[in-house]
Amino acid sequence: MSGLPGLSWRLLRGGGRRGLLGAGLTAVAVAVSTALLLFAVVANLGFQGRADREAWRNPVAATGGAVAIEAVRKDYVRDRQITVVDLAALGPGAPPPPGLDRFPAPGEVWLSPALAELAGELPADQLAARFPGRRGGTVGDEGLVHPGELLAVRGQAAESPVLRADASADPRTGVAPTRIADFRGKATNDAEGYRALGLIASVLMVVPLLVFGGAAARLTVARRDQRLAALRLVGASPGQVVAMTVAEAVITAFGGALLGAVLYGLLTPLLMRIEIAGGSWFLADLWPGVLPVLAVLVAVPLLVGVSAVVGLRRVVVSPLGVAKRETPPALRFVRVVVLLAVLAAVPALVAGSGAGVIALVIGLAFLCVNLVGPWVVGMIGRITAGVARTPARLLAGRRLVDDPRAAWRTVSGVAMTGFVAGFIGFLTPGSLTTDSPRAELRLSAPAAQAASLAAEARERLSAAGVLATVKAGGDGDRKLITVSVGRPGPAGGSVPGNRAPAKAPASGVPGQASPGQTSSGAAPPGQPGGAPVDAALVDRARTALEGLVPGRVATSLADEERFTHQILDDIGTGTVIVLTVSFLVAVASAGITAASSILDRRQTYALLRLAGTPLEVLDRARRAETLIPLTVMGGGAIAVGVFCALPLAVAAMNVTGAITLLVCVVLGFAGVVGAGAATAPLLRSVTADPAPRPD
Amino acid sequence: MSVVLEGFGLAKRFGPTVALDGVGLAVHGGEAVAIMGPSGSGKSTLLHCLAGIMRPDAGEVRLLGRRIDTMGERERSALRRTRFGFVFQFGQLLPELPADENVALPLMLGGVSRADAVRQSREWFAPLGLAGMEGRRPGELSGGQAQRVAIARALVTRPAVVFADEPTGALDQATGHDTMRLLADATRHNGASLVVVTHDPEVARWCDRVVEVRDGRILPRPGMGGREAVTGEGGPGAVTRAGGPEAVTRAGGPEAAGRSGGSATVPRAVPGAAG
Repeated sequence: MSGLPGLSWRLLRGGGRRGLLGAGLTAVAVAVSTALLLFAVVANLGFQGRADREAWRNPVAATGGAVAIEAVRKDYVRDRQITVVDLAALGPGAPPPPGLDRFPAPGEVWLSPALAELAGELPADQLAARFPGRRGGTVGDEGLVHPGELLAVRGQAAESPVLRADASADPRTGVAPTRIADFRGKATNDAEGYRALGLIASVLMVVPLLVFGGAAARLTVARRDQRLAALRLVGASPGQVVAMTVAEAVITAFGGALLGAVLYGLLTPLLMRIEIAGGSWFLADLWPGVLPVLAVLVAVPLLVGVSAVVGLRRVVVSPLGVAKRETPPALRFVRVVVLLAVLAAVPALVAGSGAGVIALVIGLAFLCVNLVGPWVVGMIGRITAGVARTPARLLAGRRLVDDPRAAWRTVSGVAMTGFVAGFIGFLTPGSLTTDSPRAELRLSAPAAQAASLAAEARERLSAAGVLATVKAGGDGDRKLITVSVGRPGPAGGSVPGNRAPAKAPASGVPGQASPGQTSSGAAPPGQPGGAPVDAALVDRARTALEGLVPGRVATSLADEERFTHQILDDIGTGTVIVLTVSFLVAVASAGITAASSILDRRQTYALLRLAGTPLEVLDRARRAETLIPLTVMGGGAIAVGVFCALPLAVAAMNVTGAITLLVCVVLGFAGVVGAGAATAPLLRSVTADPAPRPD
Repeated sequence: MSVVLEGFGLAKRFGPTVALDGVGLAVHGGEAVAIMGPSGSGKSTLLHCLAGIMRPDAGEVRLLGRRIDTMGERERSALRRTRFGFVFQFGQLLPELPADENVALPLMLGGVSRADAVRQSREWFAPLGLAGMEGRRPGELSGGQAQRVAIARALVTRPAVVFADEPTGALDQATGHDTMRLLADATRHNGASLVVVTHDPEVARWCDRVVEVRDGRILPRPGMGGREAVTGEGGPGAVTRAGGPEAVTRAGGPEAAGRSGGSATVPRAVPGAAG
C-alpha cells in the first residue's frame, strides 16, 4: 500500500496497544451492529417469504379460463390450527400447487411433515380419520408457511360437495371454493399484518443500531482527532486528513462488518427457533441472500465512513479548536423545535395510515429523540454543575457540558430502548382471557337440513363414544349446530377420552331447549360446555363431525378468536425481541463509550490519581455522568414513545405493558451501570501508570 | 530547618533495569531541591518514590518522621492529596473545568464546601498573574498560564512538599523561567519544600540545592559544603550559581524577582501563606 491509504493503515497498526484496543472496540461495536442489522433486514424478508409461500392458499378468482377449484378452511387439533386445502382439477393441465410435485388426484391426501407426524402420534379418531384417502405424499417446504405448519391438501373431484359448498363462507374459518387460473394467489391480510409489524419492529431496531454504529465510528475519530489535528497543523490538507481518517474508520468497520456477518450466521440456529405466527422459521427465511449481505457489508463501512467525516468536521474546520480543547459551541435550540414539530405531526400522520407511513413517522420521531438528546444532556450538565456540592457531581456536570454528544452516546441506547418500551408498552394489551368454552363446537348448516344434520351429529358422536349435547338453533338460511362436549355427571363414571358406551342417558335439561333444539348424549350437568374438558375428547368430536357439513368445520369460539390471541402473543414476543436487541445495543454502547472515554482521558485521570484524587471519586463522577442524563433522558424517551403509540393503542395501558416498562427501566439502568462498572479495571489500569505521557 | 522528607537506601528495579540503587535524600523545610540527570537516570523514579506514588523495593521514605512507603495505596493517596502538591509538565488540569474550579478541586476533595473552595482558589489568581482568567478553561489558557493554574492547585491545600516533574518542559525558555520563578517563590513563601525533577540547568538555578542522579545513584559532590551541584549541561558557572548561597539569594530574593520580569509578580503574601 502506498500513499494515503498506506499511511492510514500504518497509523491504524501503529496506534499501540491502546490504539488497537480502541480500534478493536469499534470493530466489535460495528460487528454487533451488523449482526443485528442483518437480523432486522431478515425479519422483513422472512415475513415476506412467509407471505409469498402462503399466498397460494388465498386464491384469486380466475378472470379467464380456470384450471382448478380451490377451497381452504381452518381446522383445529389440540389448540393448533390445521389448514385444509381442497383442490380439484378442471382439466388435465392443472399445475401442481407449491410444495407438491403433482396436482393431487381425487381421493389423494398430502400432509405437511408436522401434520403427518402428529397424525401418527395421536389416535386416529382424534386426527388421522379427518383425512381419509390415499396418501399422495408430503407437502414440501415451498408450500408451507413455517416448518411446523399443519397443512393438509386433499384432491377432490370437481363435483365434490366440499367444492360446491356455498360461497358465503366465513373468512375467519376459511376461503370458499374459488375457480383459479394458477396458484399465485395473494398475500393474506394476516400476512400483511405481520409484515407491517415486522417493519415497525425493524425500524425500532435499526434506528438505535445506526446511532450506535455512528457513535462507534466517531469513537475512532475522537481518539484520533488530536493526532489528526496535529497532522493538520503541520500542513496536511483537509482532504488528506479526511481521507486518512475515513480510510482508517472504513478499514476497521469493514473488519467489524465481516465479523458481524459471521456472528449472524452463528446465531441463525437460535433465531430459527423464535416462534412467530404459530411457528418457527426455515433456514432460508433467515438467510438474507448474497446481495443483501453484500449490500450490508458495503453499506455499514460506508455509513461508518460518513459518520467519521461528520465527526471530523471540527478537526478540519478548526484544527486549533480540537488541539486546544476550546469550549465547544452550544447546541442549538432548533433541535428541540424539530422534535416538537415531528411530535405534533404524529397523531395526524399515524391515524389511519399504512404501515409504511407509521414506520416512517416512528423512525422520524426516533431520530428526533436522538437529535434532541445531546441538547438536553448539555442542559442537564449545566444544571448539575450549577448545583453540584461534591467533586464527583461537579466533574460529572462539567463533563456533560463539555461534550454532551459523548454523554448522549453512552445513554442513547437505553433512552432509545425507553422509547421502544414506551411505544410497545402501550401497544401490548394484556392477554385477552376469553372464557369462551373450548368444549362447545359450532357448525353452520343450511336451515332446511339443520335438524337432520344435528341428528346425524348425535349419531356420529355416539358412535365415537363422545358424550355431548347437540343443539340446533338460530334463524335465517343457516342454523348453528352447537355441540357441547363434556363429561358425564359425577355419577356417570365415564372417563373422558376413553371409549365409553355411547348410549348414555340423556341428562339435558328439557326446559332449556328452545324450539328446534334437541338434546342427546350426556351433557355436563348444569353448565353445558363450560366444564374443563379433555382436549382429546374435543378432538374426537371434531374428527367425528368431519365432513358432516361439506366445506365446514366444527369450531369453538376459542378457535375463532385464536388469531387475535396469536397476534397479541406475537406482539409480546416481538416486544421481547426488540427490547432484547435494544438492550444489547444499549449495554454494548454504554460499555464501549465508557471505555473510550477512559482511553481518551487517561492522562488526566492518571495525573489526578497521582495527585491523590481517590479512584472512587473518578468512578463516582463517571457514574453520575451517566446516571443523571440516563434518568432524565430515559424517562423523557419513554414519554415520547408512549405519546407516539397513543394513536395506535389497541388497549389502555395494562399490567403487562407496565411490567414490560418497569423491567426495561430496571434492566437498562442495571445494564448501563454494569457496563460502566465493567470498565473500572480499565480505569485502574490506565491510572496505575506512574509516569503518564501524552501520545 | 528540620528535615521534612527523607529517603534512605531507596532501591527500585523494573525487570532487569536498575532504576534506583540505594539512594538517600533529605529535604529540609522550605528548601527547594532540584533532581537532575539524563533520561533514564532514575530521577523521576526517585520523585515517585519520595512522593508515595511508587513503593521502593528497598529502603524507607519518611515524611516528618513518619514512614510512608509502607502505607497502603489508600493512605498514600490521602497523603498525596493533603500533604503534597504536584505540578507536572502538562495535562494535569481537567479540560472541562474552568481554571478556578480546577484549583478548587483538591479543597473540595478534602471536604471544603464548593463555595469556600472556589473563593479560596480565586485568591490565588491575582498573585500568580492570572487575574480575570478564573472562568477560562485550560484550552483557553496559554501554556504558561496553565502551569500557573497548576501551581495554584498544587499550593491551595498548603502542602508540606511540592513535587514538580519537568514543570517547564512544555514551555519556551522565557515562559519557563517565569513559571519556575513563580513556582519556587510561591512554594517558599508558603513554607513548603520543593522537589523539582528537571534536565534544565536554568530551572535548577531557582533551587537551593541540586542533586544529580546517574544510573540510579546520586553523584557525590565533594567540596560543595555538603550540597550536590549541577555538572555537565550547566557547566561550572551553573554549579556556582545553582549550588552557592549567591544563587539562593538571587533565586529567592527580590533581585531575582525583579530581574526575571514576566507577567506576574512573585506572590509575597500568597493567600495560603497568610492563612
